Amino acid sequence: PLSPQTRAARVRVGKGDKPVTYEQAHAPHYIAHRKGWLSLHTGNLCGEAGAAERALEDAFLRRFLHGTFPGLLADAAVLKRRANLLVVCVLLARGLAPAKLHFLGGYAETLLSHFYKCPVRLELQTVPAKVPYKYL
Amino acid sequence: QDPTAAHYMFQDDPFLMPRNAANARLYSLSKEAGRNAAKYIIKQFPQYFDKTFAEPNIPCLMPETLTPEIEGVSEEALKERIHLRRVKDSVDLFDQLVQAGTPVSLETTNSLLDLLCFYGDGESALEKQEEQKEDLEEPGVNASEQKARKRQSQRGSQSSDSRWRENNNAERIFKVMPERNAHSYCTMIRGMVKHGASAKAYDMYIDMLNERHKADVHTFNALIAAVPYLKERFLERWELAKVFLNHMAQQEVQPNLLTFNALLKTLRRCGGLGKSMSLSVIKEMEALDIEPSLATYDHLLSIFYRGVDLCSSGIILEVLDDVEKRSFIPQDPDDGMDFNVSDNLHCLSSGEKCCDLKDIKLAYRLNKVMEKGDNWKFLDMDKLNAYWSKFFSLLCMMEQIDVVLKWYKEMSPSVFYPTPKNILDLLQALDAANHLEVIPSVWEDMKQLGFSRRNDLLEELLSLMSRERHPDEIQLAFAKCAEDIKAFHGQSGREQAPLEWTGSALGHVALLFSRVGRTQDAWYVMMERFQQINRIPTDQVMDEFFACAKQTNCPDEAIKLVKLAASLGLPSSQRLKSRTEKEFELSEKQR
Repeated sequence: PLSPQTRAARVRVGKGDKPVTYEQAHAPHYIAHRKGWLSLHTGNLCGEAGAAERALEDAFLRRFLHGTFPGLLADAAVLKRRANLLVVCVLLARGLAPAKLHFLGGYAETLLSHFYKCPVRLELQTVPAKVPYKYL
Repeated sequence: QDPTAAHYMFQDDPFLMPRNAANARLYSLSKEAGRNAAKYIIKQFPQYFDKTFAEPNIPCLMPETLTPEIEGVSEEALKERIHLRRVKDSVDLFDQLVQAGTPVSLETTNSLLDLLCFYGDGESALEKQEEQKEDLEEPGVNASEQKARKRQSQRGSQSSDSRWRENNNAERIFKVMPERNAHSYCTMIRGMVKHGASAKAYDMYIDMLNERHKADVHTFNALIAAVPYLKERFLERWELAKVFLNHMAQQEVQPNLLTFNALLKTLRRCGGLGKSMSLSVIKEMEALDIEPSLATYDHLLSIFYRGVDLCSSGIILEVLDDVEKRSFIPQDPDDGMDFNVSDNLHCLSSGEKCCDLKDIKLAYRLNKVMEKGDNWKFLDMDKLNAYWSKFFSLLCMMEQIDVVLKWYKEMSPSVFYPTPKNILDLLQALDAANHLEVIPSVWEDMKQLGFSRRNDLLEELLSLMSRERHPDEIQLAFAKCAEDIKAFHGQSGREQAPLEWTGSALGHVALLFSRVGRTQDAWYVMMERFQQINRIPTDQVMDEFFACAKQTNCPDEAIKLVKLAASLGLPSSQRLKSRTEKEFELSEKQR
């Protein structure tokens, strides 16, 4: 049983007017029960190296995406690594014109490929607005 | 192939999928612009991107090093700058070397000449970018001078083949050279032809012959390509081309594929003479065992099918047979040029002329050829769209309606975006096959494609809908379409000019409304809009409206109609009045 003083990745209950996505609403002990992982790589398996580097890359990628798509991120990005390929799945709100989203997508893909020396594929999905799971 | 998905270069999302051809082009171009922006950032800040931690190292993902390493005035420095394609720097360095008295070897001078002739003494793309950047960075320079320079460099970058200036650097260096060999002459000739100075190229060729040097294959190709610019009349052009070919034979230079393609290109501009000669050219090619490429076929087809009158489609069948048997690799810069599109255009035009069934079979065969192997690489997005739209028009003309609809559903949002002409053809085909209930879905597609403001399409649609009476559900659907169209006309403003109603369009809309029984809407249309555009409704419209009023039992409407007709002075007003009196029970006041 968890201590009541744990505060990791939890949104505290408030007045009831704060919309919270499914991802944010569930605490970390629900991972593998009600949640999936946000970043998938083989660094944490037995005998595999490079977990710390992957964690660093993840942090950089999330900040990069937060800056490149200003105000449009509807949920946290999911990063999947398959062999050399990095697949970044981003959920965006429909704030910009589709042409501009294509521009930003092409820019992000090329820049990240050159930065990390591996092919990067960006898969965008748009939603009308942030999808709330409940209001806390 | 998934018929509902767009091209794989776009993101797979309903918001981000392009709906018509303009959008598709816009999104693909914006993605490319994003990539260019990223490349610009990488070039500006190479220090963040050049750590090599990948094993093995991937050279294409590293920033490019474009600054020359070796400083100082020496021949190696010159060679390096030539290698990096820095035109101005290499010319300056060459001048410095000559002034300092150091002899520059013949190969280096030749490679410098190569560089200059390739870029036509203009600037290469790199240097233009730097020039523009320098303009932006020096605020101290006179503003007007800066603008003039920027404008000139922009204009220079737009005209890709710049003119060959008199006494430019290449000519100067050529004259200054102490010894010249055949290579120098060849380079100069090719550069001159590339940048439009054909007469000078010819003079230089005569000089070269006087000095008893031998030209190589590429020079001869360039000269043959320059023939249309040298002579005016067809016969003279052919004679000159034959002169060059004879020289080639004398100097024992083997012709290659590009020679024959250049010859055919020249024959294209030779009118009727071209037809008879081109066949002998093809036979020469086969005798020399050179396989014709796509550009060859393209030139052939355009020689034979130019103009309106069409002799026989025999040659296109042979060409198609050849094309089906082999697979193609790009060999000639003209190959990518619309081979398939021109093919289809020819078979389409021949299909229009003879209305022969075998031409649709030609189109199918061409389609199969395109899907085979590597052939799809020859068509890019714009040409793909043009090809498919021509194919679809041909289909609409020649095939049964079921086949047409099947192709339309398969191809429509994924492979190509229908042009307005395609939609017109589709409507006509539907009309011919009496399949008019599909029209509301066609209207939906039209709205999605952005054609809802095109008057000709709207006219066609409305006239088709209102021509006859249809069973009731279809009539309801038609009326909904008419209401949509009316809404489109109503919303003017934004940036576009408001859509004008035409008399016939209004009449059709009124008809459709009255058939369904929506008297209010129909009356609104009649009263307001007709007055607004000062047109008179036709008799048919009046009658329909009358019938509708009778159906819904509103004698007031009928009376209003009669009054309207009387005020407009229509000859049918008498008839309407008598009908009203007969068919309605009117009170005294109304009478």
